[in-house]
Amino acid sequence: MKRDIELFSTWKLDEALELLEDGNSHVIAGGTDIIPGIHINSNRFRDFNKLVDISRIKELKRISEEKDKIIIGAATTFSEIESDEILQRHLPLLVKAVSKIGSRQIRNRATIGGNFINNAPCADSVPPLLVYNAGIKINSIHHERMINLEDFLISPYRTSLTNEEIVTEIVIHKPRESLNDVFYKLGRRRGVAISRITLAILFEIKNNKFTDFKIASGAVTPIGKRFYEIENYADGKKIDRDLLIDISIRCGKAVLESTGLRWSSEYKLPVLQRLIYSLLEDNCLRR
Amino acid sequence: MSGDFNIVGRSVVRQDAYAKVTGQAKFADDYKFPGMLFGVMVRTDVSHALIHSIDYSGLLDYPEVTVCDINDIRGSRKVGVVTADQPVFCYEKIVTPGDVICMLVGADESQLKLLTAKVKTELEELPLITDPEKALDPDATFIHPDKKSNLIVHYPLRKGDVEKGFHESKHVIEQKYTTPLIEHAYLEPEAVTAVPIEGRGGVRIIGSIQNPHTTRRIVAEVLNFPLTKVRVVQAELGGAFGGKDDLMNIISARAAIAAIKTRRPVKVRYTREESVVESYKRHPYIMKYKVGFNDDGIIKAMKIDILADGGAYASMSPFVTWRTVVQATGPYEIENVHTDVRAVYTNNPYTGAMRGFGSPQPIFAQESLMDEIAEIIGVSPYEIRKINGVKPGSITASGHKLRDHDVNLLSVLERAERETNFTERHKECSRSANTKFQTSQKFRGSGFILKKDEMLDNRDIIKKGIGLAVSLRGCSLGAEGIDAAAAYLSVQKDGSAYLISGLAENGQGLRTTFSIIAAEVLGISPEHIYYLEQDTGIIADSGPTVASRSTIMGGSAVKNAAEIIKKRFEEMLLTYWNIKSKDQLLFKNNRVYEQSRSISFSELCSLAYSKGLNMSAIGWFKGPSVHWDEEKGQGAAYFTYVYGCQVAEVSANLLTGEIFVDRIVAVHDPGKIINLMGAKGQVFGGVTQGAGYALWEGITTYNGNIRENNFDQILIPTSKDIGEIESIFLEGEDIYGAWGAKSLGEPTLELTAAAIANAVKNATGLRYFNLPLNPEEILLSRKLSPNDLSRGSTN
Repeated sequence: MKRDIELFSTWKLDEALELLEDGNSHVIAGGTDIIPGIHINSNRFRDFNKLVDISRIKELKRISEEKDKIIIGAATTFSEIESDEILQRHLPLLVKAVSKIGSRQIRNRATIGGNFINNAPCADSVPPLLVYNAGIKINSIHHERMINLEDFLISPYRTSLTNEEIVTEIVIHKPRESLNDVFYKLGRRRGVAISRITLAILFEIKNNKFTDFKIASGAVTPIGKRFYEIENYADGKKIDRDLLIDISIRCGKAVLESTGLRWSSEYKLPVLQRLIYSLLEDNCLRR
Repeated sequence: MSGDFNIVGRSVVRQDAYAKVTGQAKFADDYKFPGMLFGVMVRTDVSHALIHSIDYSGLLDYPEVTVCDINDIRGSRKVGVVTADQPVFCYEKIVTPGDVICMLVGADESQLKLLTAKVKTELEELPLITDPEKALDPDATFIHPDKKSNLIVHYPLRKGDVEKGFHESKHVIEQKYTTPLIEHAYLEPEAVTAVPIEGRGGVRIIGSIQNPHTTRRIVAEVLNFPLTKVRVVQAELGGAFGGKDDLMNIISARAAIAAIKTRRPVKVRYTREESVVESYKRHPYIMKYKVGFNDDGIIKAMKIDILADGGAYASMSPFVTWRTVVQATGPYEIENVHTDVRAVYTNNPYTGAMRGFGSPQPIFAQESLMDEIAEIIGVSPYEIRKINGVKPGSITASGHKLRDHDVNLLSVLERAERETNFTERHKECSRSANTKFQTSQKFRGSGFILKKDEMLDNRDIIKKGIGLAVSLRGCSLGAEGIDAAAAYLSVQKDGSAYLISGLAENGQGLRTTFSIIAAEVLGISPEHIYYLEQDTGIIADSGPTVASRSTIMGGSAVKNAAEIIKKRFEEMLLTYWNIKSKDQLLFKNNRVYEQSRSISFSELCSLAYSKGLNMSAIGWFKGPSVHWDEEKGQGAAYFTYVYGCQVAEVSANLLTGEIFVDRIVAVHDPGKIINLMGAKGQVFGGVTQGAGYALWEGITTYNGNIRENNFDQILIPTSKDIGEIESIFLEGEDIYGAWGAKSLGEPTLELTAAAIANAVKNATGLRYFNLPLNPEEILLSRKLSPNDLSRGSTN
C-alpha cells in the first residue's frame, strides 16, 4: 500500500526528541516490527507520517556497568547484547533469551527497546527483564522519567509511552552472581521461530530451600508476566519433587486464570506445566 | 563407454551459481522497459458467488487507469491444461478467494492498489463446499454448473480379484490417512512483463515461468493469436517446485491482454500474500487402505480408495491423480488390487502440480501400512519390504512387467539397511519406547490442569526412533501425454558452443547438466558451452519441465545433438588425416587424438568452418510408447522407473511433542549421475522439503480463505531444523537416458515424510495417520487452529 512517510535520521538524541515533539511521529530503530507492520497495513502503524530513526544515536547504544547497576541503551541490538561481556557476566539470562530471537539478520537490526515497546506477547526479552526487575528511563524534550518495565507494559501492543517520548535506557540492579538462571523457548521450529512459550526463572538455593525464586512467562500470557504469588509460595520451601510439581501446577492455574481458554490451551497448558517441572527438576533437584 | 568419462559423474559447480550468489542474476521483476505500466488484480471477499454485475463508475475520475476484464478477451475466456474451467477474468462466478474479476492497469502501481476498492461488484453468495467428502453429495452445489458434477476425475484400477484375496488372507486391516494442503513456497513470487512487439504485431513475454511453451500456448489461445506471435522468454527463475505453471500462464495472459490494449509494456508482480492466495497448491488427500496378508508376510490383496481435493479448478488434478493410481500400492507386487482415485471440485484454493505430483501422499499411507503389517506378523520393516518388493520381472499393479533396466528396489533397501544398521536399531528403539507416554495419550484432553502423576520424568522425555520408506517412481510423463524433447547445439569456429533445450531451467541445474552431457560427447570442458536464454522463438516445444523428466528426456536430446555433430567431425577427420576408421579417434581434454597425432578442438572447429561443415544440430528424443486402459487401469504406464529408500532417524520430545530429524540417509538409483554436485543438491533440497511435509507444513483454510498467507506462518524448515543428510547413489543401468541417466528430483522428496512417520512410531510407540506430525498431533493426535482467520502471535 502506498503511503508517503518521511524518514528523519539523526545522530543526536536532542534532535530526535525535538522531531518527536509534534506527536505525529513514530520512532524507528531496527524496524523489524514497523516495516513488516506497514507492509501489511497494520492498524498499529497507520497514524503517523514521519519516522524518526534513532539507530545511529551512540548514547542509545551504550552498555555500561556502574557500581551496583547495569545500563543498556535502548537501541542496542540483540547481536550487540549477545556478544557483550558485561552482560554475559551479569545478565546471562538476558543473553540466553536474546540469542534465540529470530535469525542472525533480525538480531543484527532488532533492538531491545523495540522489543518491549512493541510489547507483543511473544517478545523474548521481556520475561528475563521482568525477573531482573528492570527499570527503564524515558525522555522527551520536556522531561525525563523512570518507570519499572512491569508498569510500563500495559496490555498486548500497548505501553505507557507517549508519542513525544523515547525509551533511552534499561537499568538493572546487578543480580547476585550466585543466582541460578533458566531460560526456555518453545517455538514451532528451531530457526526463525516465533515463541509459543517462553519461561525465565531465577533462583538461589540455600539449605535445600528456595530463596529469591522468580519466574516470568511470555507468549502463554497476553503479555510477559511475573508470577508473584507462586514466587512467594516457593520461597523458603524445602525443595523436593512434590514442591516442584506443586509450583508447575500453580503456574498452569495462574496462566489459565490470566488468559482463559484459548484454541491452543489444550496443547499449551499441559506442556507449560510439564516444562516448568522438567526445567526445575533438571536445575534444582540434582544439585 | 561406462566408467570412462571425462566429466560425467563428477561435481561441477552450477553455471548460474556465481551470478545468483552475488545478486547479479536477472529475475523477472528486474526487467524494466520504457513506458512500462503495471497491472494490479481486483478480487472479491467471497469464496463462492454468482457475479451479477461489476461497476467501474468509481474509476471515472481516473482516466489514466485502464481496466482489463472479460470483455478484452478475443480468444478463450477459460483455460486449463486438461479441462478449460479457469477463467482468465471471472465473469460468471467466484469459486475461490483467489479469483480475479479484473485488472487495473496504469503507471502508478501503488495508486492502482488503492483503486481496487473502487471497483464494486454485485454478487449473490452461494453455499460453500469446503469438505471434499461432501463434494459429491447429491445436494451439493455444482462449483462449475456446466460440468453437472463436482467430480474432476475418477481413475479405477482393477487387477485380479480383491475379495478373493481378502478371503485368502489371515489378517485384514483397514486404515485411513490424510495429508494437508501444501504451498510450494518458492522464494520468488510471480512476476511477468508483456511487451508488445512493435511493427509486426504479437507480444513478447518475459517472466518467472516454469514452462515457456505452455505459457505461449495459453497466451496465444486467450489472445487468439497464432503460436508464433507469442514469444515467451524465461527470466532467471527464483524457484518453482512445479508451482510456476497454470497461474503463471494466466497472469502472463492478463499482462499480454493489457499490453495489446494499451500498446505499452505491462508488468504484473505479486506480493507474497497475493501469491499464496491465488497460486495452486499440493493436493490434500484422504486415503483409505484395506490390506489382506498372511503370516508369511505376503500381501494377498489391497483395496484403496483415495479422494483428492482439487479445489476450485481442475488444473493438473487429472494428471496428479493418475500418477497416484499407478503408484498407490507402492513398489510391491500384489496379486489382487482394487484402486479408486477421485479428484473433486471444492471452493478451496485449487491444487495442481507440486514436486512429487501425486506420490508423497500415497507413499505416506502405504509405507505406514507396510510397517503395521510388519508389526502384526512380527518381522522387521526391512523384511516385509524384501518379501513384497518388486524384483526384475515383477508385475506392477497396473500389469506392467519391469524389465530393460536394473530393478534396484531391493538393492537400495539393502544398502540403506547396511548403512544404518537399521533392523537392529529399530528393535532397540521399539524396546525402549515409553509405555507411560502411550498410556497417558489415552487420556488426552481430559483436563488443562495436570494431576500430580502426570508430570514426565526427565529421563523419559527424549526418545529415539528410526524408520524407512521405499518407492518406485515412473520416469517422465508416462501415459499422461506426448513425451519428446529437443535440443539445439551449435558449435562455433573457435570451439565454443551454444546449447539450448526445449526444457527449461527451473533451478534444478538443468543448464549445467545439459552442458556436461554435450561437453562429454565432444570431449571439451563444459565452460566452453554457452547455454542460451530460454526462448520459445528459438527452440522446439519439448513439453513441460515437470515429472523429473529433464535429465532423461532433455539429456537424451542433448546427447543426440552432440553425437550428430561429433559424427560430422569424425567424417571430416577421416579425409583430413586420411585414415580409414573412426575407432581410433578420441575426443578428450579439448582435443581430438588419433594414435600419435592430435588437434585441438578449437583448431578442429576452425578447420571445419573453413570447409563449410555444418556444426549445428537439433537433437531429438522421443520416449518409447506407453499405454493405459482407462477402464481397468492397466498398462505399461511409464517406460522406465527409478527406485529409492530413505531412512530417517529422529528424536521425539514426548513433553513438547517436537520431532527433530537427526539424520536422513537417502539411497537412490537415479540411473547414471551426470553432475554429482547437482544430484546431491537434489537430495538435500528434496529431503528438507519432505521433512517440512512430515513435520511442519500445511495450509489451513477457513471458508476457503487461507490463514497462513506469509512466511511468518507458513513454516518451512530452516537449516537449523534438520540434522545430517547423507546421499548414496546406486547407479543402475538402463537402455534409456543419456548413458542411463534418469530421474532424481521428485524421488528425493516423496519418501521423506513416510520415513519420518515410521521413525516417529518407532520412537513413541504410537502411529500417526495425519500429516504434518506437528506437536499437537504428537500429543493430542489432532490439529488445533483458531476458529477464524485471526493472525496472532500467541499461536
